[in-house]
Amino acid sequence: MPRSRDAGKQSRKLSWDKKHTRELFRRYRVEGDDAARDELITMYLNLVKYLASRFRNRGEPIDDLIQVGTIGLIKAIDRFDIERQVEFTTYATPTIVGELKRYFRDKGWAIKVPRRLQELSFRVNQAIDQLTQRLQRSPTIPEIAEYLEVTPEDVLEALETSEAYNFVSLESDRGGDGSDSFSILEYIGKDDQLMAIVDDRATLAGALKQLSPQEQRVLYLRFFEGLTQTEIARQLDISQMQVSRLLRRTLKVLRESIVREA
Amino acid sequence: MTADTVTLTVPSRGEFAKTVRMTASALVSRMGMTFDEVDDVRIAAEEAFVYACDHAPESGEVRLDFAVGDGELEIRVRLSAGSRITDEDAERRAAYATFLLQSVCDTFEMSSDETGPYLRVVKRAVLESEDAEV
Repeated sequence: MPRSRDAGKQSRKLSWDKKHTRELFRRYRVEGDDAARDELITMYLNLVKYLASRFRNRGEPIDDLIQVGTIGLIKAIDRFDIERQVEFTTYATPTIVGELKRYFRDKGWAIKVPRRLQELSFRVNQAIDQLTQRLQRSPTIPEIAEYLEVTPEDVLEALETSEAYNFVSLESDRGGDGSDSFSILEYIGKDDQLMAIVDDRATLAGALKQLSPQEQRVLYLRFFEGLTQTEIARQLDISQMQVSRLLRRTLKVLRESIVREA
Repeated sequence: MTADTVTLTVPSRGEFAKTVRMTASALVSRMGMTFDEVDDVRIAAEEAFVYACDHAPESGEVRLDFAVGDGELEIRVRLSAGSRITDEDAERRAAYATFLLQSVCDTFEMSSDETGPYLRVVKRAVLESEDAEV
């Protein structure tokens, strides 16, 4: 893990840092000393810089990444439990990385895409939602093109571009918000249609576990309830483009799992 | 009904799924299909292509015939006779592809002619008939 390299580099300073960190946390927590909090932030900025640099090649300015990482650091400082026998860096690292990952997930650009296409893709996304409301149905490609005053080919290109974002790694934590307890597995007993494709229940269960609750729900609504993407978007209050992306990713994960397990 | 036919032959590797997807979406984009339907076509084209890749010999090719009709697209994906995957595998994936393709297309079938077996996928634009009702 790259983290151990970082730890090695800092090892000389470490014992002093540890004591000083504990003292600062005590002052901040017990005495409410905001200056101690500020000092902690400054002290661990290098950790943020290091972690942010790991995301450097994804097309975002490093300064932005450091800012995002710093938010993670501040969260970690505010949440760190000094009673726990855990080093602050051990606690802070996943929080900072989590913040950076969330930034990429929300921002959505995992692969560098030309700015013109990024913007167009964004506008197409908005146009689809606005036109769907106005027309009370999913718009056609020429309608989207006319609305945005671009060619239908531009719209298609933007649709393909949208595949480039929301690359969510399989190792990333799933269902983090915990607000949605929906599980497609609960429905499998009721409708064995999809089960017919896999003789081995465990295969599908394993594949479905790799999906977030939202992805499972989209899959269920699309293929079990037979809803259109527009209907799913409305029901889940997300954009159609998001439904499209979720669906594609979901199908890919399922397909790969079925092959791997077989 | 006369249909224009576009034929695409690509190496049987997953990285060409995008080419297949874009060809399919470019062909239906002026057909009056909605975004939902276009996306279904993209899923269908990709799934059918990936399915054919599984059945193509390694470093082989997959041929797709797109017939652009009046408000509908028919895709015929040629399947190689020989398959490099085991029977059990093939069955499982065929069932999976069938399930998906049936969900997103109006017609999906395995068929064959003098040149061999193929997957036949048809997607129709429903918008015009819906508009008539409104």
